[in-house]
Amino acid sequence: MSRLFIEPFQAGYLQRALIEAVILGIVGGIVGVHVVLRRLEFMADALTHTVFPGMAAAFVLGGSLYVGALITGVASAVLLTLLTRNRRVTSDAALAVLLTGFFSIGVIIVSRSRTYTADLTTLLFGRVLAVDVAQIIATALTGLAVLVVLWALHKELVLRAFDPEATAALGYSVTTLDLVLNVLITLVVVSAVRAVGSVLVIALLVTPAAAAQLLVRRSVGAMMATAAVLGAVGGWLGLVVSYEGSIHHGWRLASGGTIVLVLTALFASVLAGTATVATLRRHGRRPGAAATTLEAAAS
Amino acid sequence: MTTVAPGWDTPALVLDAVAVAYDRVTALDGITGTVAAGESVALIGPNGSGKSTLLKAILGLVPLQAGSITVLGRAPTAARRAVAYVPQQDALDAEFPISVSQVVTMGRYRRVGWVRRPGRHDKAVAAEALHRVGLSDRAGDRFGTLSGGQRQRVLLARAIAQDARLLLLDEPFNGVDGTTQELLLGLLGELRAEGVAIVMSTHDLSIAQVACCDACVLNTHQVAFGPVDEALTAEHLREAYGTNALLLVSDGPSPRA
Repeated sequence: MSRLFIEPFQAGYLQRALIEAVILGIVGGIVGVHVVLRRLEFMADALTHTVFPGMAAAFVLGGSLYVGALITGVASAVLLTLLTRNRRVTSDAALAVLLTGFFSIGVIIVSRSRTYTADLTTLLFGRVLAVDVAQIIATALTGLAVLVVLWALHKELVLRAFDPEATAALGYSVTTLDLVLNVLITLVVVSAVRAVGSVLVIALLVTPAAAAQLLVRRSVGAMMATAAVLGAVGGWLGLVVSYEGSIHHGWRLASGGTIVLVLTALFASVLAGTATVATLRRHGRRPGAAATTLEAAAS
Repeated sequence: MTTVAPGWDTPALVLDAVAVAYDRVTALDGITGTVAAGESVALIGPNGSGKSTLLKAILGLVPLQAGSITVLGRAPTAARRAVAYVPQQDALDAEFPISVSQVVTMGRYRRVGWVRRPGRHDKAVAAEALHRVGLSDRAGDRFGTLSGGQRQRVLLARAIAQDARLLLLDEPFNGVDGTTQELLLGLLGELRAEGVAIVMSTHDLSIAQVACCDACVLNTHQVAFGPVDEALTAEHLREAYGTNALLLVSDGPSPRA
């Protein structure tokens, strides 16, 4: 047990990494439920690319990466919402154009820097072990703000995800609700990008929520709780595996990558587990079968 | 009733030479008619004839190119709370993690307001609406586990929970079983008796004759609007549908229920 909970987290930088990873796992898991239910995975991925030029500019100019990512991230969330509303541009085309356009600006900015390779690696893959207290506070406050807005608009956002026609018919502005959700996704991306990098951040938003979708079928709230737990477990376990491998086995496991790999393994286990249960149910005795047949006969 | 809210003698819906165009292509033209409280009108026309567009226009979701729509004495956008829209059940994601009672409670959201959650009264109204469509025993089940007909009943329960005075239904009898069809027809009759006005699009002439007192035959432009037996003539249907109309007429008008 000590190797799971105590030993890896004695050093201050690992404690900070743990707090950061768990916060990101929770918030990413919860927001990710909307991403998965709305099938916005590609859009969320586009947002991870569009924050890149802001970070690159801040990096080269010596400014705050967080502020840089925030500016381009929110700008692109607004642009994406407006572009995907336009009926003459398909939304996937709009996303692809925007994400590659933004990303290339970032590449051009970073390639002007003399420490090009090292800079690019930091921006693309993140450095969760270099997280400082100020970053944790920024992540925690951003995460809290995101969760408060999600909580306040929960019933409207779920309604919009389930039945956009009825949402509009009831007089809600679907565009405004979409804009709010896109900005929330951006905020999560922005706070996670320094820890896990712009390439892997999408995993925090999609993987725990996709696994939760396999486990929970009855309510969005329960799915969010499950995704939050899975995200937090992934963050913690990823750091433990990365520490174990690097310290005791000399494998040098990059922490950001390991966190994502653990999340992927969690998803794969859930998928295998739920598929096995479904198969067993199909082949075994089915207590519900008689009731289902009766019901079908009655209706 | 306060003086602000229109009384039951105010027509639920007044259409006056309504025209809608998408990207300069006319989708709807010259629709004129009145639906009083407790009346029901069937929108009859082939696919792409503008039935869905007309429903959207009544909800104030598409701009009018010409003419006007008055809902309960107000502009459509100002009347939305009193208007319930029932989409086709197969337009919804069957995998969505939501229970039957949660779907019905959505009809209360506008009354509940921002931030707040549905209270005891809202839940009671939703439970009563679910009872009326005969699905109280399925309240806790996931929406997607229900049959097509049952889902359509849940969506009608949501509209009932909204306490609307004008009900808009998009092909409510599409792909529903016989039980649901009879139950829906009975419920729509009850609602009309309570003073609710109903507009439904349908391609089923026999349903239109059983469920509605009026019919609006359209194919982009209005062919006829009036009592069903005057509107659903072979001549009007031929004008709306083209040559297939005679087939439909010989097939359709014998009421099934």
